[in-house]
Amino acid sequence: MNDEDDEVAGVTFGGATDQGRQTDDDELLPQLVSHLREHRNRLRQQWVSRIQGAHLLQAMTSQEMAAETTSVYDNYVEVLETGSVGALRDYARDLSERIIPRGVETQEVVGIVLLLRDVLARSLFEKYQRDLPLLNRVLDAYEPAANRIANTVAVSFVDERERVIRQQQDSIRELSTPVLRVRERLLILPIIGVLDTERARQLTEQLLSGIRAHRARVVVIDITGVPDVDEAVANHLVQTVDASRLMGASVIITGLSPEIAQTLVTIGVDLSRMDTIGDLQGGLEEAERLLGFSVTRDSEAAGP
Amino acid sequence: MIPIVRRIVAARVPDRATADDLVQETLARVLAAVERIEPGMVEPYAIVTARNVVATMWRDQDRQRRHQHRVVDLRPPELPDEDVLAQEDRHAMAEALTRLSERERDTLLAHEVSGQDTHSLAAELGSTAGAVAAQLNRTRARLRVEYLLAADRVEPPTERCRPVLLALSSGDRRRQREVDAARHLLECELCARLSEPLMGRGRSRDDEVRVAVRVDADVVAARQAARELAARLGFASTDLTEVATAVSEIVRNIVRFADAGEVLVELLDSPRRGIRITARDSGPGIPDVQEALREGYSTYRGLGLGLPGARRLMDEFAVASEPGRGTTVTMTKWREAG
Amino acid sequence: MPGPRLFSILRQGSCLIASIHTALDDSQLLRFQQDLVETIGRDRARGVVIDVAALDVLDSFATSTLRDIGEMARLRGAATVVVGIQPEVAIAMVRLGLRTGVLETALDLEEGLARVDGRLAGAADGRRDR
Repeated sequence: MNDEDDEVAGVTFGGATDQGRQTDDDELLPQLVSHLREHRNRLRQQWVSRIQGAHLLQAMTSQEMAAETTSVYDNYVEVLETGSVGALRDYARDLSERIIPRGVETQEVVGIVLLLRDVLARSLFEKYQRDLPLLNRVLDAYEPAANRIANTVAVSFVDERERVIRQQQDSIRELSTPVLRVRERLLILPIIGVLDTERARQLTEQLLSGIRAHRARVVVIDITGVPDVDEAVANHLVQTVDASRLMGASVIITGLSPEIAQTLVTIGVDLSRMDTIGDLQGGLEEAERLLGFSVTRDSEAAGP
Repeated sequence: MIPIVRRIVAARVPDRATADDLVQETLARVLAAVERIEPGMVEPYAIVTARNVVATMWRDQDRQRRHQHRVVDLRPPELPDEDVLAQEDRHAMAEALTRLSERERDTLLAHEVSGQDTHSLAAELGSTAGAVAAQLNRTRARLRVEYLLAADRVEPPTERCRPVLLALSSGDRRRQREVDAARHLLECELCARLSEPLMGRGRSRDDEVRVAVRVDADVVAARQAARELAARLGFASTDLTEVATAVSEIVRNIVRFADAGEVLVELLDSPRRGIRITARDSGPGIPDVQEALREGYSTYRGLGLGLPGARRLMDEFAVASEPGRGTTVTMTKWREAG
Repeated sequence: MPGPRLFSILRQGSCLIASIHTALDDSQLLRFQQDLVETIGRDRARGVVIDVAALDVLDSFATSTLRDIGEMARLRGAATVVVGIQPEVAIAMVRLGLRTGVLETALDLEEGLARVDGRLAGAADGRRDR
């Protein structure tokens, strides 16, 4: 192949057909890459106007758009050049992390990558249209790489989105069911909000690992913040109490009103194995008593 | 193409008139699809279609049969080698056994004849129970092939025959593709014939485990197998423990009441990912399933939690039983989305 | 039986510490029960701590075996505490429907021994009934 002939790719390839396709194909991607680098500004501009025309990424300012599209473009070309999607994937994750909080949707991200793919394909088409066999081979080389890029970006975005959602869910859960250590061997679990099967399960798992980590002997579960304590909720609590007991911890339930307790007993919930005390203060005093600490009160008010 | 289709159908359907109908239906379907089939793929397509047509007929018959009796499949448990062993051809079996390596033979006999469980075998061999079970499966696959060859008193005509038969016998689809089993069966009359009992065995893959149940130790083996398989789906450890506990309860019933049975653990893909356990025995059956599912029901030293307890631990649970014939418990746990 | 020992029973003062080392099947559990109850009688143990931390499953049979051991030990004047139940095992046990009260439990060996000592101190005060 002629080294000096680095500009007129069509001619070079046209004259080299009898040298075997493998060599040619090895040269195709570098050709393609230098073409895309050479026309970087023009192609990127085309891409940006296509994005705007499609009303995508409207959450971004024009400066942001210019900066991000330049980065994506360069990463894109780099993947074509090196065949390695690692850097692009990292960038796509990073970009996703920044744009997800702003409400950018999956289809937008996929949309812009497909637009870039299209802009570049058109430019290749223009460049090589005089030589159809060559154009076919250029597109054959370009398309798998372009598909791989589109796939990488989309997957990175979706992964990141799922990760963010999971993280948010986890933090909400943890916020809503903190296992607090009051003193040595004593935990408080204030439950706030609806206690459904899934949450009861997570809460129990969290409590049991808390019991093990803190070597707790007594746990006070305060359900003042749980609305609608019905049979299902009560049965979840019974299981939590039983499981805690198997780990060697006693459980005191506080915040269960006498009326609701009466109702639960009437419909057949076995509260006999649950130690229930009206308010949190009383529950803590009972807990300390169980732990063998003596309780002294400032006032001589009646005990729980 | 017609002779191939005829051969496939005839090998599966003894009744001539039915076979003719199925051949016609297969050809009609192939013709209808012929434009969509790549050149050169018509024959393989026809083979697959013929098998599907036969399988559909079987499924329909099966459904009818089930509805007749209004119970699920209560055939006696299929022990892994039943279709081979049932023929009681001692000479062929003895001959086939001599063709295994000494180690394969010893392990297989220790397990199948002496009843030694995979755990103690693993301890002796310095291996894991799972690896021993996998090795046993491969050995059984070889034994089936060698048995069929010995029973027929033939040596395979080509070099490819044994690998193909082995791939079919083990139900390993990837291997079947590698050795191009479908093509070979078209070319080799012997293998086409011998493959029949092998293919009838159905699936045996790495996303399912069978555990034969006879003795106490099998209860532990079954629950560990279920736990290991479920772990591959990424179940939380609480879920794994619940599955293992449920399996323990159900399989114990087989040992207590039925002497022998089998547990099948399968990973499911649809409608969701999950794990299904089917425990089947040919024991006396449960006279009153509703009663057995009631809290506190117990017929042996226990806390009366067996069936109802296992049901609470799983997402889906069904019991079918017929007095005098056996009991099948099927239970599933789904892997939560996300 | 080849392989490592399935369980061990050690004496510490007037207590026995019985540790299960691996998953046991039903007949092995019964042998454990038999060995332990015999040892309690022979050693005139006053307390028994059973460590089940190595068990990944405590199903109805295992639980009833532990309960029976506790009962038999009580008849021979020894208090029994089961220790080391893992969180996920505890959850599976209650979902299975096992009730606490069936077993006296503590978090781990140390807690279990303290619990047994507490019981023995209580018994020394003259209350032997439970």
